[in-house]
Amino acid sequence: MTTEEATVDQESSLNRLISNTVGYGTIAATIAILFFFLVLPVAVIISKAFYSEDGLTFEYFRLLFANDLQTSSIWNSILIGIATTVICMLLSIPLSMINTKWEFPGKALLSGLLLVPMVMPPFVGAIGIQRFFARRGSINIFLIENGWIDAPIDWLAEGNKFWAVVLLEVLHLYPIMYLNLSAALANVDPSLEEAAEVMGVPRWRRYLQIVWPLAAPGLFAGSIIVFIWALTDLGTPLLVGFHDSMPVRIFNMVTDANENPVGFALVFVVILLTVCIFLSSKLMFGRTKYDMMAKGHVTSGVQKAGPFRLIMIYSVLVGTVAIALVPHISVFITSISDQWFLTVLPEAYTTKYYELIFETDLPFTGIKNSLLLSLGSTGLDLILGLLVAYVVTRKLVPLSGFLDGLVMIPLALPGIVLAFGYVVTYTDTFLDPLHNPVPLLIIAYAIRRLPFMVRSASAGLQQTSYSLEEASACFGASRFYTLRKIVMPLVAANLIAGGLLCFAYAMLDVSDSLILAMKDQFYPLTKAIYALFLEQGSGEFVASALGMIGMLILTACIVGSSLILGKKMGELFRS
Amino acid sequence: MEVTLDKIDKRYGKTYAVKQLDLKIEKGALHFFLGPSGCGKTTTLRMLAGLEKPSSGRILFNGKDVTSSPAADRGIGMVFQNYALWPHMTVQKNIEYGLKLRKLSQEEIRKRMDEVVGITQLDGYTERLPGQLSGGQQQRVALARALAIRPNVLLLDEPLSNLDARLRLDMRDNISRIHKQTGITTIYVTHDQKEALSMGTAVSVMKQGHMIQTGSPRTLYHHPNSSFIASFIGETNLLSGKVTQASGGTYSVSTAFGEFRTARAVGAHKVGDKVHLSIRHEAVDVDFGRAPFNSEFTLKLRLEHLTYLGESEQFKLKNDSGDFFKSTVFHTPEHNISDGDEITCGVSAEDIVVLPFQEDTDSGT
Repeated sequence: MTTEEATVDQESSLNRLISNTVGYGTIAATIAILFFFLVLPVAVIISKAFYSEDGLTFEYFRLLFANDLQTSSIWNSILIGIATTVICMLLSIPLSMINTKWEFPGKALLSGLLLVPMVMPPFVGAIGIQRFFARRGSINIFLIENGWIDAPIDWLAEGNKFWAVVLLEVLHLYPIMYLNLSAALANVDPSLEEAAEVMGVPRWRRYLQIVWPLAAPGLFAGSIIVFIWALTDLGTPLLVGFHDSMPVRIFNMVTDANENPVGFALVFVVILLTVCIFLSSKLMFGRTKYDMMAKGHVTSGVQKAGPFRLIMIYSVLVGTVAIALVPHISVFITSISDQWFLTVLPEAYTTKYYELIFETDLPFTGIKNSLLLSLGSTGLDLILGLLVAYVVTRKLVPLSGFLDGLVMIPLALPGIVLAFGYVVTYTDTFLDPLHNPVPLLIIAYAIRRLPFMVRSASAGLQQTSYSLEEASACFGASRFYTLRKIVMPLVAANLIAGGLLCFAYAMLDVSDSLILAMKDQFYPLTKAIYALFLEQGSGEFVASALGMIGMLILTACIVGSSLILGKKMGELFRS
Repeated sequence: MEVTLDKIDKRYGKTYAVKQLDLKIEKGALHFFLGPSGCGKTTTLRMLAGLEKPSSGRILFNGKDVTSSPAADRGIGMVFQNYALWPHMTVQKNIEYGLKLRKLSQEEIRKRMDEVVGITQLDGYTERLPGQLSGGQQQRVALARALAIRPNVLLLDEPLSNLDARLRLDMRDNISRIHKQTGITTIYVTHDQKEALSMGTAVSVMKQGHMIQTGSPRTLYHHPNSSFIASFIGETNLLSGKVTQASGGTYSVSTAFGEFRTARAVGAHKVGDKVHLSIRHEAVDVDFGRAPFNSEFTLKLRLEHLTYLGESEQFKLKNDSGDFFKSTVFHTPEHNISDGDEITCGVSAEDIVVLPFQEDTDSGT
């Protein structure tokens, strides 16, 4: 080796040392962030639920379960979860079968429209349907004008609010189930079904005995997400006014958490419920992971629909889309209505509420805050997500499987739990949300969407041969130089898609925003909408206009993301 | 650069991928690791590259211990089995990558680009992406990329296994030419013995993690040190037998095909020992009634099956108890021998090698 080469080597080892220090330092920081902002808050809640000044106690649980109001809220939330999941499932099975098995004109458009409800933060929908279903709302007026009823029906009476919440949850969450199921069905090699077909097995039997057993894990994975989401969603029951549910009770207890420790017990019940559901899913499906044999020539398995079937397909799809869009349409009409009194539709229309957004403080601050917070959290997600996915797929640290499990927890961990944990853990510290919630909001947004980013990046990394990185290492590149130059460009599409999703969901985050942002100046979009909704006068209309803006941003992000990811999108929403 | 492997072990859990490997690779050699899949040859190559760490033992480059140096510090160029070309970079970017990491001047980079592009005949392809190239071109880009950094050692991991038969022959010549032109010490892993025999200056044959024999292609072919080598390199009749006489290095061995006498033997054997006899297919002559017929030992056998290959014919013969014996004869006269005929064939003593008996070696026939 010549001296010139020796110096080059020395320099390159120094560079490698620096780059490795930065790289592994970031990994260490990632683990620290996960510890302080995921593990610790949950641990604090659990410890406070079981420990009083006198040591271990079950007193808070006794108080919780002795209180009928509390127990009924637990049951109500569980029932909301079950009802939402069952209805989503019934709705998604035909939708996903149509999507994977049949070809028909307008398929792309209708499939796209089916996903639109994802952009609707369900609580914004709640504002819309109140306008439509109120005692003097459009529906009642329409029915009275036509002479079908004499007196207005109280659609949103106390007894109906449960179903109003369920309906809104279903309309928001069925796309997740549908995406999961479509991905699972698309994954079943059509030749497996064809093998049964050539044996003369009838169609219903093929579905029952071959296709569904193979797709069941997908159905179940979707159900889990939908159930937990519906169980712990705060915004919808809050705006519908269904106060007898767990998330609303927790929301009301946050402010005096330290005086009323029953709140800890209630949050612990939520944690326990979600953990049990996840464990049961692992036990049921953890071992039955069927490997599809190496695919030879893959036939698409998609058939052209005949006229009779076409009518059925269109009526299912168009019907679903029409119902799913009712809240959106109602929010839209509310946002542009001028003079809307005792008529089915407004008598005049206006854009003044959209103008008000930019003229008054609260709505504009809300948009600005949410944009900045979401950008920050998405940036954090990109860094953390790529690093975690890289470390896990390349097994760089011991216990990388554990790390993988850790970052997936937020998928099951309700936002209210995390937000509640942050408040109790960081009150009276330099991160006190009462003082300035910005750091905690960014971290909360980031941690809750980290699973999407990790999934998305992992998918890309798994398709990238490790030898591409080894080749780079042979030339003297450090691992993190290789990460920048070779790995990142190759998984860029996955990173962008994951980033868009993270951004979109951060923009419309409800539980963290409602709980952590306590002063006007820090209100994100959703809390601004909530605050406006509670205001008298034009608040409701400005809230709707603001909701529309939020939906537009979210639509753009989700369309972009699904264009990049294509069919793989469904896999992001798996437990 | 002289490369030395000193008592290398590589364990995965309790299984040995490579065991007690000792080897010296000469400077400027085109050295082959040859062996069936799973024999540890790729693992050995990856240890030389620094992509795997030996469980014990040392790797020396020109006498300097590099066992714990990372790949980057070894100054190696490697061509991966799947080429590992970066799909998002053009051919030029792929080749420049290692040079830029070495912070070479623009001028030097351009000079080396021209040099390797010329040597690998890639002119006109430098602006393309790997996906726009054929398999053979991709292979050459991988080679150019490895050569551009002027490596101390060039490591090739089954570089031709993804190419079709025709292209593989062309690329053999190409690699041999490039090796001669550059003189870089090259280590080449393959399971294709024709590649190893036709190109290698030295060949190491591996089996189940052990190095069985290292030598020139001719040495391996003519002087195998075991029945495994005899049957793995080329094609041979491996007959098991018992030593009936042993005197002054000459042995008489009785086999299912009769008694043979030869002075060529690996190891010392005594009367009563079980041994293997190796007789190459092409060393077995068939009596077509033409002269000269080699008849030091003659065998009368029944023809089981005849395979006509044009330039040669392969005779699969059988004795009365059903044991097979094969002969390959080049440039045969026209004849009307057919299956079931009795054939006389002959072998000379100098083509018979006595080898230590090895239980698991199949006869290769």
